[in-house]
Amino acid sequence: MLIVHCHVCGAEGDETDFHYGGQAHIARPATRDPANVSDAEQRDYLFMRHNAKGLHFERWRCDRGCGKWFHAARDTVTMEFKATYGISELPPRALMEAATGEWAVFFKDRLAKGSEA
Amino acid sequence: MSDAQFETALQGRETPTGLTVDIREMTTRGMIDLRGLADDTAFMAAVKQALNLDLPTAPRTSAAWGEIQALWLSTDQWLILCPRTKTEELLTALRQALAGIHSLAVDVSDMRTIIRLEGDQARSLLLKGSSLDLLSADYEAGTARRLRFAEIAALLHIVSTKPDVIDLYVFRSYADYAWDWLIANGRTVADVRQFGKQAVPAT
Repeated sequence: MLIVHCHVCGAEGDETDFHYGGQAHIARPATRDPANVSDAEQRDYLFMRHNAKGLHFERWRCDRGCGKWFHAARDTVTMEFKATYGISELPPRALMEAATGEWAVFFKDRLAKGSEA
Repeated sequence: MSDAQFETALQGRETPTGLTVDIREMTTRGMIDLRGLADDTAFMAAVKQALNLDLPTAPRTSAAWGEIQALWLSTDQWLILCPRTKTEELLTALRQALAGIHSLAVDVSDMRTIIRLEGDQARSLLLKGSSLDLLSADYEAGTARRLRFAEIAALLHIVSTKPDVIDLYVFRSYADYAWDWLIANGRTVADVRQFGKQAVPAT
């Protein structure tokens, strides 16, 4: 059982008090440019997910508490929560730099630009 | 034609005996769901004017003025408690004060059923159905928080301590289940004393 800490209301509780919301930072291509979404983009958006061993970024909801969504960086090997951050934010810079594999590719541009999620 | 009759969810259920705590349904309470932005000063001022109390902004706290109470539910949501007979009046006053402000006030008196637990074993009984550390100092009088209780969504309000008076809010359709759960787990023979002094085993 994971012990989760809500980024919004500070509640700490068992995993069952929270709701896992899947991989974080997935942008819907049709939101940016509805007229020009390729099949490959739409496929990636719907189905393709990172399967990180180690540092992973995901969404959680304080389901039985304040009801708000937030982001969490978690290690899928040790199950340790490295950080939680707001739902419209990017992870702390140190964690973006520590990301490996697909996440490292994902954060590369963002680290360069320092842009928002 | 028959007139609509007010019936509570647990109407007709006998007062249980042989429990470690006293439980009863609170039937005369009205509830208003209030939503708005806590950092909107116009909203906070309007609520203050209508209710005469400052909405609690710290997580899991509550505020009271006279017979009106406000429980913190989320960063933008509060549950206002008042006598059931005054709900309409209070709601009208709130809506008038909040006119033009981004907010929401709805009468939800029949949405939840309130079960009041009284007695010092109340916390250890609730612990059986929840993973919260209810015995910690965080859960002092006035604490209100939503939780997963006996697999259902519930709201806990610690009304006073010594002796403990705790209000358990469950959605109305779960009232029967919660009531039966409390009866089944609150029997004197089912009392858990692992938090008290333990007998020292002979060595």
